[in-house]
Amino acid sequence: MNMIELLTELAVMPLIAFTIGLFMVLMMRKIAAKIQRRVGPPLLQPLYDIVKLYAKKTQNSHGLVHDIGIIMAVGGYIAAETMLPVPGMNGIAAKSGLLALAYVIMIPSLGLALGVGQCANPNGSIGIARALTAMLAYDVPFVIIIFGASWFYGSNNLIDIVAHQQAGGIATWGAAKMPVLAIAALFSMYAMLGKQPFEIYVAPAEIATGPMVEMGGKYLGGLFVMQCFQLFTASAIYVTMFLGGGENWPFFLVKLFAIIAIPMSMAFVFPRYRTEDVLAVVWRWPVLLGLAGVWLVMH
Amino acid sequence: MTSLDLLLILSGLTTLAGFAFGNHRAYPWLAGIVLTAQIVILASMPLPMAAGFGFEMFGHPVGWQMDGFGRFFALITLGAALASVAYTGGEWGERYAAGGKNLRWLHGALAGNVLAMLLLLASGDLIAFFIGWELTSWAGFLLMAQGGERALRAAMRYVPYAMAGAMAVLGGLVLSLTWTGTLDLSQLVMLVPGLANWKLALLLALFGTGFAIKMGLLPVHLWQTPAYAEAPGAATAFLGAISSRMGLFGFGLLLVKLITLTRLADLSFIDGLFSARDLIEWVAALTIVLPTFTALKQNDARYLLAWHGIGQSGYMLLGLVIGDATGSAGGLLHVFNHATYQAALVLSVFAVMHRTGTADLNSMGGLVTRMPLTFLVMLLGIIGLAGLPPMNGFVSKWLIYRSLMIEGRPLLFLMTVLGTLGTILSVYKLIHNTFLGQLRAEHEQIREAPWSMLVPMLALVALAFVTGVAPGLALNYVNEAQAALGLPVMAHTLGGVESPRGSLDMLWIVGVLFAGFGIGALLFYGAGGRSKRIHQLDNYAGGHFLSADVRYQYSDHFYAGLMHRIGPLYRGSFTQMEAALASANDLLASLMQAWYRQAVPALTLLIATVLGLAWMIWR
Repeated sequence: MNMIELLTELAVMPLIAFTIGLFMVLMMRKIAAKIQRRVGPPLLQPLYDIVKLYAKKTQNSHGLVHDIGIIMAVGGYIAAETMLPVPGMNGIAAKSGLLALAYVIMIPSLGLALGVGQCANPNGSIGIARALTAMLAYDVPFVIIIFGASWFYGSNNLIDIVAHQQAGGIATWGAAKMPVLAIAALFSMYAMLGKQPFEIYVAPAEIATGPMVEMGGKYLGGLFVMQCFQLFTASAIYVTMFLGGGENWPFFLVKLFAIIAIPMSMAFVFPRYRTEDVLAVVWRWPVLLGLAGVWLVMH
Repeated sequence: MTSLDLLLILSGLTTLAGFAFGNHRAYPWLAGIVLTAQIVILASMPLPMAAGFGFEMFGHPVGWQMDGFGRFFALITLGAALASVAYTGGEWGERYAAGGKNLRWLHGALAGNVLAMLLLLASGDLIAFFIGWELTSWAGFLLMAQGGERALRAAMRYVPYAMAGAMAVLGGLVLSLTWTGTLDLSQLVMLVPGLANWKLALLLALFGTGFAIKMGLLPVHLWQTPAYAEAPGAATAFLGAISSRMGLFGFGLLLVKLITLTRLADLSFIDGLFSARDLIEWVAALTIVLPTFTALKQNDARYLLAWHGIGQSGYMLLGLVIGDATGSAGGLLHVFNHATYQAALVLSVFAVMHRTGTADLNSMGGLVTRMPLTFLVMLLGIIGLAGLPPMNGFVSKWLIYRSLMIEGRPLLFLMTVLGTLGTILSVYKLIHNTFLGQLRAEHEQIREAPWSMLVPMLALVALAFVTGVAPGLALNYVNEAQAALGLPVMAHTLGGVESPRGSLDMLWIVGVLFAGFGIGALLFYGAGGRSKRIHQLDNYAGGHFLSADVRYQYSDHFYAGLMHRIGPLYRGSFTQMEAALASANDLLASLMQAWYRQAVPALTLLIATVLGLAWMIWR
């Protein structure tokens, strides 16, 4: 592959991810609306929201780190998208791999944490402390799953992992070969998305939306963009590890949206876990399932 | 005269100069130049390089010879010393001297540490090794004791540990001599692996105890945190960067070179189920996790970092003992990487202390607006410590994770990642409570740290960044160390590792990361409305009103939810164990004293004399 093709891929991959993420937000809201017997937002509502937030006249900054936090939150995901293979494009997946990707997607969280920190709002700081605790909770099963998958495929290279699964159709998909790990991964991804019942770090009535409390205008807009990326990334990692990656775009999209639809269909009927209960539930079930899955894979 | 002689002579002269006129304004410049010259001499030295001098002791030749493994550690030692001396050179040193403390002792002890470590790292036989070992311990003690009364108490706590360690190493030395008839390392390498299992186990226990104490491995780690944290700034940075790695150097020689990893795996405890190698791997893994989560609970920035120093050493030992090309490269690379960001972090904490007078995480906050460059140093430092891209800490940890994956060690892998996650939480607390959050009224007038302190700090994080983007630069030296130890050598590229089963190219990863940040910045500054800077108290607190007199910053219970869950696990078991050992020792000592000084003094004297005479005649 020549350099121009590669650079084009690097530019296009984040754009596609963002667009898909926008529709995932839409789907999430539609599902919530269906459960709550509402109509839900129109097709382009997520886009309108972002444009509105960026265009607002009041844009309050608490200082440079507040700005940089948002830039890191968005920029980190833009970088992460180039490491996730999608149909027809591999970006720099061969040069980074699953393990590096898992750490690159912590950078946006770190950026957000820094930005919120500078806002000097106790609710924001409490929210971040809870969000980081939640990260400690869901990343433990997540890395067990990464280990199991890497061991099974004998590779850390996402392109290999996809090729391995596509070699023999659905029978060679990760989910078929490692069902226990696939369930654990779904659980851990659910917690990663930070939706009910794992959204104690937002807790609007208690800590005034936590990390978001000082975010308005393009700051909140940046977080909205980050959420689009996050939904896509979580779903794409899952599909790449367990559902055969993307043979072609239609199938890939179906898988991506289906995977996000599962936690979202459950989320809106749940109340909320306290932080310590998030730790308890995530360190119990997905960790046990994950370890069992790794044992099964290795024996 | 060989270039190793020159290196040691220069180091000796720096030590003398430090003790003689370390308080002179010109000393830091002079020492800086000499240290730089030493780095150049060392880096350009053909290996192995023997010293031109040596002597005989009890008929055994004692000599020095530098190989690739020693040079790797020696380069880090000299670099850390250079940063520490530079930091001391300006305002920090002046204030230190003005506070009634003696700069000559500080500089002399620092240079003495470097000399002792060079002697240790270049030792060619076990006597030279033991001389270097003892000098390092005592020079370390001298440096720790400089920071005032609390520091002296902490240093005194180190003394019994150091003595016990030295006795254990001496015991190992004597047994090696008895069983192999030689103390020369090049001959021991051939003879020791052939010893019986129980002999190897005993050597491992004796040498291992000594090295574990120096390194601060669980459960003999308790001395290290106060001793390192309470030392004066530049000394803390040096100690934290390299001092305890001498224990790792010892482990490298012992486990990989003398006993060898294959023989280590033969030493099994429960019928082949659990070998000495497993034991060391698990000690290393627990050393990663437990101290990291202890760091999470600290309220003093210096203690927090010192605890992380212990935790990170677990990665180094684990990587080394896994022993494949990738893992051992990761473990060794982590020594260098940790030295760069840990020194920078410690110096940034002391820069904040220089301005605010405190390292208490409950009494700072919001300093980013007053000390932005120091904030930058701490930010890059914590990214390195947490092991996230783009800093170098990520690369060495990645190598260790990867080798655990390849070798199929899921539980150890989980422990290493748990350590990383705990570190992320802990370092966020550090930077949040120092630089983010609310600026206190008493810190309104604080200025940025002086350039004499900023330059070494920025140079260290720049090094940590550059070797993160291009780890190949440091991996060249790591390869040399691997080869000198007889480990498989890891092939690498400038950007990391190239392998069909999982490459790592940091040049590309960091490239797209910064491109991403660039696009993020364009979107942020280009696409949105102009933002307006507002006052820190102008924020929404859900109906409450924040004011300057309301205490905002908190640290005790920063991760309240986590502590509800894991809080009961903090039991202080190691402290209790240390206290129990100390009181058992006291009891034994007073019993013996009561016996030979009070109960039967004459009989004791008689027995001792008779035995002494008998030994002399029999001999």
